[in-house]
Amino acid sequence: MEEQMQKRGTVTSLASLFPPEETHKASERVQNAISERWEHLGQLKKFIADNANLINLVQTLPNELHHNIMVSFGKAAFFPGKLIHSNEFMVLLGEGYYAERTSKQTIEILKRRGKILDCQVESLKAEIQDLKAEASFFYATAAEAKDGLVQIVEDYVEETYAHDVSEPGMSETDSARSFKDEKSGIKVDDEEFKRIFSIMDELEKEEEAENATEDEEDEKNEDDSGPSIDRAQEVESSLVKDSNLLSVHKDESSDGKAPVLNKSTLTEKALELPRNKETVQAPAMSGKEAFTGSIVEHTQNLESSQMEQSSTRGSKPVSRFKLRRQ
Amino acid sequence: MASSTAALRELQRDLENKANDLSKLQKDVAKNHQVRKKYTIQLGENELVLKELDLLREDANVYKLIGPVLVKQDLAEARANVRKRIEYISAELKRLDATLQDLEDKQKSKQETVLKLQQRIQSFQAGKGKA
Repeated sequence: MEEQMQKRGTVTSLASLFPPEETHKASERVQNAISERWEHLGQLKKFIADNANLINLVQTLPNELHHNIMVSFGKAAFFPGKLIHSNEFMVLLGEGYYAERTSKQTIEILKRRGKILDCQVESLKAEIQDLKAEASFFYATAAEAKDGLVQIVEDYVEETYAHDVSEPGMSETDSARSFKDEKSGIKVDDEEFKRIFSIMDELEKEEEAENATEDEEDEKNEDDSGPSIDRAQEVESSLVKDSNLLSVHKDESSDGKAPVLNKSTLTEKALELPRNKETVQAPAMSGKEAFTGSIVEHTQNLESSQMEQSSTRGSKPVSRFKLRRQ
Repeated sequence: MASSTAALRELQRDLENKANDLSKLQKDVAKNHQVRKKYTIQLGENELVLKELDLLREDANVYKLIGPVLVKQDLAEARANVRKRIEYISAELKRLDATLQDLEDKQKSKQETVLKLQQRIQSFQAGKGKA
């Protein structure tokens, strides 16, 4: 932001000489930022080293019951002393809060802090990477500006101005213009959309009106036999064969008497009312398989749904579509 | 000719004023950024403290340094205090963000006006050069 401003400022005073310098300044500024980050990084590294040292110290302190140390007396002098309670630490948590901790607990806290420091280092490194990319960009633009300058000097001044100065501003206006274009394009599209939507709305209304009349009729026909049965029916149609086969198998396994006869009646059974099937399945149900129970349930459903279906289909074929939708 | 130079002067003076305003705004923004940075650091520290306090067992002794003395504090109380502080700092940060946004918007509009002025002066000079 600042760079742009300054670039413009110089351009007013002396047309085309300054931009490369300005870009150079910009890259310098980024370089400064990078060096700042490096300093910070160094500081963090020092912190990490300190932390590691401290962890070491805290780890070894409770090895002895007491330590002979030199106690500092102000800045002026030391005198010999003894460090006792070597397993009790007062840990500064930050913000003036201290907690009494043992050596082990202290080490835990310190390790957590070390982790946070590591995270900071990582983020800082990423930042430096970003800044480096930015700096290289500025250098490139500086070089380009320099090249451009040579060319422009041969041309007349007006164009150099247009070329050099408007570089930062131009992009904005360009984007703005393109944005406007887009907008106008969208407007046209909007109108078309509106028309299409209005047509669609009308169609929908018509459809709804139709549906409403259909619904009334359907409701008369369907009564309380809800969509659940309709759906069940769909499932049934696929299940009918299975259940029939299954029942035959059951007969084979449980009765073992006349499987051939059962098979011969298979087609008959399929055509017969489900109630008949129920009687066939009854012995199987008393047997081992739990699955038969579900089949019995289905067949019952099938019975009612088939009846329902026949009634609805017979009365109104149009509602079939609606049925499927449900 | 004389009138055109006078107009140019006028424009340049105007530009100077606008540029000054802009630099003032930029200073404000920079200051705001610094304050914001400080608060973020504080927020980080407080969150650290809260984490550590939450990790402490209930019977742990917690002290707060008030001036030169360590004052023993209830752990629950300390936690509540830190939590309050975090809340306060977050609120402050939000406020700062809002002001910063405002300032940056202003800065942008100022920049645009400066740019326009510059372009006008440039075209002025170019016209004169041609003539």
